[in-house]
Amino acid sequence: MNTRRTTTPQSVKASRLNRRDFLIRGGLMGAGALSLPALLAACGGGSSSSVDTAGGGGSSLFFENWPGYMDEKTVGLFQAASGVSMKYTEAFNDNNEYFAKIQPELSKGKKIAPDILAPTFWMAARLIQLGWVQKLPKADIPNFVNLRDDLRGPSWDSGDEYNLPYQTGIAGIAYNSKITGRELKSVADLFDPAFKGKIGMLTEMRDTIGLILMGEGKKIADVKTFDQASVAFDKLTKAKNDGQIRSFTGNDYVDDLSAGNFAACVAWSGDVLQLTKDNPDVKFIVPEEGGTSWYDTMVWVKGSENSDSVAKWMNFLYDPVNAARLTAFVQYISPVKGVQDELAKMGGDNAKLAEDPLLFPDAATFALLQSWGALAEEEEAKFDEAFASITGA
Amino acid sequence: MVSVVSAGKKWGKSLSSRPENVGLGVMLGLGVGAVALAAQWVKGPSAMLVAIAMLAMVVGLIYTAFAGGLEARKSLAPYGLLKPGMIWLCLFFLAPLWAMVVMSLSSKAGRFDFFPDFTWNFENYRIALTKFRPQFIRSFSYAGIATMLTIVIGYPLAYFIAFRGGKYRNILLGLVVIPFFTSYLIRTLAWNNILADEGPVVSLINKLHISGVFESLDIMQNGKLMNTPAAVIGGLTYNFLPFMVLPIYVSLEKIDVRLVDAAMDLYSSASQAFRKVVLPLSLPGLFAGSLLVFIPAAGDFVNAQFLGNPQTTMIGNSIQDQFLRQLNYPVASAMSFVLMIIITIIVLIYTKFMGTEDLA
Repeated sequence: MNTRRTTTPQSVKASRLNRRDFLIRGGLMGAGALSLPALLAACGGGSSSSVDTAGGGGSSLFFENWPGYMDEKTVGLFQAASGVSMKYTEAFNDNNEYFAKIQPELSKGKKIAPDILAPTFWMAARLIQLGWVQKLPKADIPNFVNLRDDLRGPSWDSGDEYNLPYQTGIAGIAYNSKITGRELKSVADLFDPAFKGKIGMLTEMRDTIGLILMGEGKKIADVKTFDQASVAFDKLTKAKNDGQIRSFTGNDYVDDLSAGNFAACVAWSGDVLQLTKDNPDVKFIVPEEGGTSWYDTMVWVKGSENSDSVAKWMNFLYDPVNAARLTAFVQYISPVKGVQDELAKMGGDNAKLAEDPLLFPDAATFALLQSWGALAEEEEAKFDEAFASITGA
Repeated sequence: MVSVVSAGKKWGKSLSSRPENVGLGVMLGLGVGAVALAAQWVKGPSAMLVAIAMLAMVVGLIYTAFAGGLEARKSLAPYGLLKPGMIWLCLFFLAPLWAMVVMSLSSKAGRFDFFPDFTWNFENYRIALTKFRPQFIRSFSYAGIATMLTIVIGYPLAYFIAFRGGKYRNILLGLVVIPFFTSYLIRTLAWNNILADEGPVVSLINKLHISGVFESLDIMQNGKLMNTPAAVIGGLTYNFLPFMVLPIYVSLEKIDVRLVDAAMDLYSSASQAFRKVVLPLSLPGLFAGSLLVFIPAAGDFVNAQFLGNPQTTMIGNSIQDQFLRQLNYPVASAMSFVLMIIITIIVLIYTKFMGTEDLA
């Protein structure tokens, strides 16, 4: 996913900077510092803002994460509880671009600075396949038992040896009912000629193509070859040529949707949650044909020797109390069991979150969700290439 | 032993008698050495040898300067002044260019191969020229239209500031430059809000019931201004306008207004005076301005990304995508090289056509 911009309820704002403010400020600063050469620089060191580098000898840990994907307290609490000195940065902006950045070192067998990364599941699968990550010290992570059952044993890591999910979410359809003038419920609504030039799609190939495939009645977990998915690519190409699609976006669809430039778009659940509270016209649905479920997952980079700290950190995050604090901030679906109860115990607005169907989907919603399996290297290349030629890049 | 020393002295003396040759030789030698090191033509021990040779050249140069006295130093000076720029160009232009050409003729063994092998793979150029032809054509036409628009908008503006600005000249010039105090990205993103479907401009157009006019001019598409070719070209024009205004202003400002009076005295009308006196004298500025606008606009990807739609992508977007997302370094290098070549050809033709050598 591109820079995910999620938002927190206004009521939570009272005491601290929330995720939306944080991202807007960070985005402005980032944009200010951004120059063309920096954008073009394929590789080189990470220009990251170190959040916490508390000194002290002994064990250390470096976690590079997505922007705005962590509340302010967790890192400090972890350092106090474990004695590990932790460096936390948020320079992971885009799966493909980050891959391009770490490729020079890792392909030569050299190690990179971070110990832990949290790529999206398909990128984690690629890193495992390339042998650039190592087996997690699971014996030292007793809280592993709290991992949600549906996230266990993906086809590309059947023994859960290499990855531990960080946050999970749903890609579905968001729409602005003021513009559409009616309620939407199906993927087919994205192709309604009435919304010509007012439809947004995500640059994240698996979410956009996945949703269209489900609209065509396919099971995306069964899609292994490009030929099986070509119907979705054809449909997307036609929609683009007809002028149906306004643009392919990363997280910035949030602004277009709220401003009314998009009537509807493919969207991520966490983003829309807050938008709905600011702007009741904006709604998120899991289409009746199904939505994709995705997750970002922690992996331990090869060459890192901080096994102890890695185990302590992952164990800390999988404690439901800590996981609940994180959920209250990022508002994505937690991979940790017991978070709903913890949120309810926290009371106030957090208790309301425990009731939110987008944070804790009911069984009927869960039944609609599908996720991609691993694609072979050459097939994935065909998918990416075909998608790039549609997005016009 | 003595004979060696005296031979060395003799050689040194013969060198110091032609110091300009030493200056030129060392400059070229350092340039070639810098490219060889930066482009990794030589590696390991031979790289050390090249570095030592370069150092020896510098020592020889210093010796020549000291042994030859004032005259020698005088004739060395021009090369001395050229050297920093030359070495800079070798390190940061020639060497990367070489690396890019080599990469553009390489092929990847697998999708995640980070070290493509040099194989004279001209297939990359075929892909760049066929698959990405629409993007190339679009880039050059958008950049061309934007350049013309900046002339249409920028020339009168520069003219006004230069001849009618009076004591407000500097303030007016400052106003032209002030938007540059804000980041390029922010300035571009701001248009998102201005041109939005529910934004001020579209609402005004709809209230005045003139959207039909804009639709027929193809400026509006389907009732929207944002995410259209017009928005991308408008963004390019807006962002590069100062690059046109400033050079034109500089050449207009130099013009002696009495020349216009003289033309009037010789019975030319105001428009004739402009056509025959002011315009030709301002051509160098116009020429410099169009290059400053056209070249970066052709390679721009920010405007197309934020103001365009999937059918307005420019070649810069495609190169970025091939480099950073598809990890297809060979094809991306070929595309970059083709872009450079086409721009060079266009600039050469333009120079020939404008023929400003005798004016500058």
